[in-house]
Amino acid sequence: QCLVPGIRRVQDLCKVLQLPAVFEETAVSYFQRALQHPSFHLVSLEKKELLGGCCVFVTCRQHNWPLTMGTICSLLYAKQELFASVYLSLQKELQLSVPALSLGDLLRTHLDSCRLFQPSPDVPAAFVEDKEKLLSRALQVLELAGDTWLVTGRHPVPVLTAAAFLSWQSLRPGPRLPCALRRFCRLAGLALAPPAHLRLKELLDVLLAMASRLAWLKMFELDKKTVVKHLGELLQHRVFLLKQAFCAQGEERGAA
Amino acid sequence: FKDDLSTSPELFTSMSPYDVDLPIETTEDVLFNSQFNQPKELLNDFSSVDLSFLPDITHDKKEQHLPEDGDEMQKEFDGSISGKEDRGTSVDESSLSYPGVTQPSPEASGVCPPLTPMTPMTPVTPASESSGIVPQLQNIVSTVNLACKLDLKNIALHARNAEYNPKRFAAVIMRIREPRTTALIFSSGKMVCTGAKSEEQSRLAARKYARVVQKLGFPAKFLDFKIQNMVGSCDVRFPIRLEGLVLTHQQFSSYEPELFPGLIYRMVKPRIVLLIFVSGKVVLTG
Repeated sequence: QCLVPGIRRVQDLCKVLQLPAVFEETAVSYFQRALQHPSFHLVSLEKKELLGGCCVFVTCRQHNWPLTMGTICSLLYAKQELFASVYLSLQKELQLSVPALSLGDLLRTHLDSCRLFQPSPDVPAAFVEDKEKLLSRALQVLELAGDTWLVTGRHPVPVLTAAAFLSWQSLRPGPRLPCALRRFCRLAGLALAPPAHLRLKELLDVLLAMASRLAWLKMFELDKKTVVKHLGELLQHRVFLLKQAFCAQGEERGAA
Repeated sequence: FKDDLSTSPELFTSMSPYDVDLPIETTEDVLFNSQFNQPKELLNDFSSVDLSFLPDITHDKKEQHLPEDGDEMQKEFDGSISGKEDRGTSVDESSLSYPGVTQPSPEASGVCPPLTPMTPMTPVTPASESSGIVPQLQNIVSTVNLACKLDLKNIALHARNAEYNPKRFAAVIMRIREPRTTALIFSSGKMVCTGAKSEEQSRLAARKYARVVQKLGFPAKFLDFKIQNMVGSCDVRFPIRLEGLVLTHQQFSSYEPELFPGLIYRMVKPRIVLLIFVSGKVVLTG
């Protein structure tokens, strides 16, 4: 009864997301398995409609195809809490193992919609940036964020936004430093979630701690605004600096 | 879906005290909670003990009936109409001093408390393998059957600390201060008791609520008392790479930072759900 229109919905979703054909087959088979499971029999129609979306979402995650729950929910016009409960039940009942989202892949898709890679009338010339350069630097910043415990347990998208912003600023600090995060997101066409400001602050604190360990930067008395200028160098020496900045901190605390 | 208490994430968020900053109980608290002063050694190794066995050792007859106090009940009824202070649910140990009433609690009967001495159902692992971390109990959920139909409006009218909003929820919500707990009392006579910090406290609280209901004039019994869920928490004292854990323990883990900051680990033996946070704090339930 729900099977045929449900399967069609799954297939449509795969087409809209332009997913490889094998994804469609996997998602449909999950959907069929789910409907056969007793715990999904008496479920509301609303939830059944979300079930197809959950199957597509799981399939994408298992193939490391970067798709956030937020994106799927907006495509389905679904409330995130409802989607979440259907998804978690699906994962539990079918015993599906779903790997963690790869932040690097997500960054790539996230920046696909960025409008700062081409010149345009509303974007100042100095703001336009090369996509690959930005991506490469932002990936390193993301790695740094991960190493310094800014990523674990937090929503992934705000970290991406903060990383992209800092990287973009650092590639041409002169004209870009005065540009605030909000304006950057508006010009780039990226959504700005409130935690992004916090992630930005945390990243800057990490960078400042690292900069204080770099001999030739120590004397500059860098602050949040100026440390971005040296992001390239900090990233270059990050392994050494992280050890210096954070292991030493632990020792000091222990001694005190 | 089966909305069982141990797995629904919405219930996790509503259990808001169980976020990152959980107070660690002091030794005194542990002793107080145990009520029977269990030797500390028994609490050191929870890693292999199957908690589902907790037996009900007290005698059946005692279980089912609370002491009948014909005269007392009559007095209580008159008292309730005049709005006596000690009525209803503000039941402290001291207020349970009606002449001729035996305390409806297990220790009064002189029977050995059910938890000491305890023989674990599974072999205890040697000390070198266990972490030495002892989870502290935070919440116990239990149910009991009072075995009689209840008039919820009547109860809500005459009992103190009772809420009843049938449009919102079809049960009376009652609270007592000692042990600090909440009860959901249904018209079928079934009751849920939450908030206790130990099994004994949960049982004691349930008996107090049953007593209250009995004093209101209902022939309440105390059947099929059962601990349904226990929630504990602990701290491993080091940060945890949740994305790594979900990789190495895929078949047991669910980590969705878009939804919830913790990793949901469904352990098979014993059948327990753990919420593991990056800070090293762990909540155990189920």
